[in-house]
This record gives sequence, C-alpha cells and structure tokens, in this order.
Amino acid sequence: MENFWKSTKCRVILCILALLTGVMIYALSTGGYTISTVGLFKTIAAPFQYASNAISERVEYTLRLYRNAEIHYEQNKALREEIAELNRELADYEQTKEELEKLRGFVGIKEEHEDFTLSAPCDVVGYITNDPFHAFMINGGTRDGIDLYDPVVTDQGLVGVITEVGTDTATVTTLLSPDISVAAYCATTTDRGVVSGTVALSMDGLTRMQYLDQNTALRENKVILTTGENGMFPRGYVIGYVRSIENDDSGMTAYAVLTPAADLTNLDKVVVVTDFDGKAIKNDALTRKEAADAQ
Amino acid sequence: MRSDPKRYIVLQIVKWLAYALLIAVCFFAETSGSYVKPLLLIPAALCISSHTGEIQSAAVGTVCGLLLDIACGKLLGYNAVWLVICCVAVSLLHNYYLREKLLSMLILTVICTALQGYLDFVFYYAIWGHDDVALVYTHYLLPSGIMTVIASIPLYFLIGAINRRCGSHRTNELEKTVIRNNY
Repeated sequence: MENFWKSTKCRVILCILALLTGVMIYALSTGGYTISTVGLFKTIAAPFQYASNAISERVEYTLRLYRNAEIHYEQNKALREEIAELNRELADYEQTKEELEKLRGFVGIKEEHEDFTLSAPCDVVGYITNDPFHAFMINGGTRDGIDLYDPVVTDQGLVGVITEVGTDTATVTTLLSPDISVAAYCATTTDRGVVSGTVALSMDGLTRMQYLDQNTALRENKVILTTGENGMFPRGYVIGYVRSIENDDSGMTAYAVLTPAADLTNLDKVVVVTDFDGKAIKNDALTRKEAADAQ
Repeated sequence: MRSDPKRYIVLQIVKWLAYALLIAVCFFAETSGSYVKPLLLIPAALCISSHTGEIQSAAVGTVCGLLLDIACGKLLGYNAVWLVICCVAVSLLHNYYLREKLLSMLILTVICTALQGYLDFVFYYAIWGHDDVALVYTHYLLPSGIMTVIASIPLYFLIGAINRRCGSHRTNELEKTVIRNNY
C-alpha cells in the first residue's frame, strides 16, 4: 500500500482529479450555458433516452392496466375483449387526435398572445433524475432560438424557465422550485404576490403565492396570472388556480396554495416563449454571456 | 490465460465492451420515467473498480461520475470527483485488504451512496435554506439510496459473471501473501 502513494499510478489519478476539478470550475463559469462537448453528448444520447423513456412508459402503462384489471377483473371479463378490439381500432385515431389537439393548443397561444414569439413545440426528453421539483430536459436549444431564462409554457399555463441551455437541448426549472419567483396577481380581486415553490408543496405538485395581505379577498379556484413586471415573464399568462389560503409562519402575511394550470409532473410537449412585449431579461442575459465570452 | 496473448486481448476487449454497454444501460435507465430511481451508475462503477486496477477504476469513476452529473442535472464534474476517489479507494481496498465478497461490496456501496446523498443534500438543498428541506431527504434521497444499495446486488453478480466469462480474475496482495506463506 505504501508503494501506491509513491507510484506513477497515484500521480496519474491526482492528475485526473485535478482535471475534473478544472472541468467543474469551467462548467461553473459558463453560467448556465451547456459545455459544447456535453451538448453534443446530450444530442447523441437523446434518441436513446426517447427509446428508454418509451419502454419505461410502456412498463408503467402495463403495470397500471394490470392493477386495474385485478380490481375489476370479474366485472370486465366479458367486455374486455370487445373493448380491446375497439381500443386497437381507436388507438391510431386517438393518438392522431391528441397530437392535433396539442398542436392546436399551441397555435391558440399565438392567437391569444400576438406579441409572443414561440419556438417550435419541444418534446420532453426526460425528467432530471430524482429532482424534487420535477425539472426536465427538452429537445430544443440555442439552435432553435431558445436562450437562458426564456419562459416555458403549454396551452394550459406557465411551466417554468430555461435554466441551462445547449445547442440542441435545454433544462427547464419548473414553478415548483423555490429557485423561481414569478410576480403574480389575481385578475378578479387584484391581489398581488410572488409565486415561488417550496419543498413540501412540490411533493404534491403544488406551489404557492406568497406576500398576500392577511385579509386577502382571494378564494378557492381564483385564477392567478403573471404580472409581467420584471420583464422575465409575459403579462397575463395563467400560472394556476387557488387551492387554499394559509397564514404565513410569521403571522404577518398570508399565502395561497396554487395548483399549477399545467400538470408539471407529467408533461410531454411544451413551447418556449423566445420573445414577447416587455421582455427585458433576455438583453441582460445576453450581456452577461457576451461579457463571459469576452473574458 | 496469458499463455494465449491473442485470446487474452480479445477477452479484455469483450470485457470492456460489456462494461461500456452496462454503463450505458444504467445511464438510460436512470434518465427514464419521472419517479424516484436508484443511481445505478454508483454500484456499477464500484463493482467494476473492485475487479480492476487503480488507473482503470479512476477512468471508470470519471465516466460514470460525468454521466451521473448529466442524468441528475448537477454541475459537471461534481459527482465525478468524489466517484473517482471512491472507485480508486475500492480498487485499492480490494487489491490490498479485501476479498471479493458480496457483503464487503454492499458495505462499500452503502458508504459511497451515503456520502453521495449527504453531499447532494448539503450542497443542493440544505445550504440554500429552503423550508422543509428534510422532506427531500426522506422522499427522494433516502428511497433512492436504499434502491441503489439493493440494485448493487444484481450488478455485483452481473459484473462478477462478466469477469469470470472473460477469465480475468485479479489475484490481490492478500491472496499473494497467503500463497507465499503456504509455499
């Protein structure tokens, strides 16, 4: 064992460690922009991830079917074959219809918000492993005009922001994360606050709107929208619906527990708003990137 | 085995290809679905390291660590640095002090997984002072860690089988000493 510490092997391993530390520091200095080699790897790996995701979804689907079949087996025995036959016939039709509905929804965003410049619909390549806030990777990047801190939406509502971007892939941090703050208001009661996630609420796929007055007029099912004040998110986009009103630990303010309008735990397609009226942060991000490049 | 150098080289290539395939499968399994999953790359890297030399185990630790960073969306190199250290330590322990036993591999996996979970918890959650941060530990890190340790059992046997098939049993210093003392 003593020989190991004096050997060339030990020096080589120390060199590898130094190199990895260098890579880590370099990755940190890029400020959210994916290192090109990693970006290339992610691009190459994406089709395999699709395949493994498809298998995983299939397994989950089969397991779910099995559980339900066990519960209703006796009742459904006679009908199952007929349903299966009809399902097979309907499968193609449903799949096509679903795809069409999603795309129609995305077109609807553009119709409702004419100032938006939208990316092409992006597929969710996969959720980040064991992330409590359900961050995920999409198959769009700087090549598609997507940049850091661009808002990500579905036709149902706001999803989150781009927090890491490469040439062909990007990572989206969702509204469930405490790292994101969205200025928000209620159109009917004019209550204003900041939407930001918590660890506890993220477990149930919920988020919260904090800094509300204790006598807030907000009630269940009220719609919460973005104010667009800081230029990071467009104005008037749906964030979610009020589920309940709670008092803050300090007792000074109240907060509303929100159900996000989009199901953040089970997404398969999203679009990125690459530009909109009042967008300010993009210029700041670009300035930072240019400054980093210049260094 | 080394009496036929060509066969030995072919078997070595087959062995490393099998390792590469196994690592790829672990990576894609880790990035599929949206549920809590075991970090398969950790036991895979440790089991491979228990059968290889220090330099090879450092290389395996680097590759698996970087893949783990990509899968978990962590800072590139963050997992790689400690996994290289763990892999080299496992390789040295198996070369000088330990025999290839499931129990010793399980203990090493528990230590490394606990270390990974602790570092992850501290640097990615606790340090930022979020409320109810213990829930991340109980709902994500702990189940994932337990699943990782359980997953190390089939991986141990699988990697052991690859090694046996490729006829590359490593005689460690402990066994060499026993052989020397017997003769």
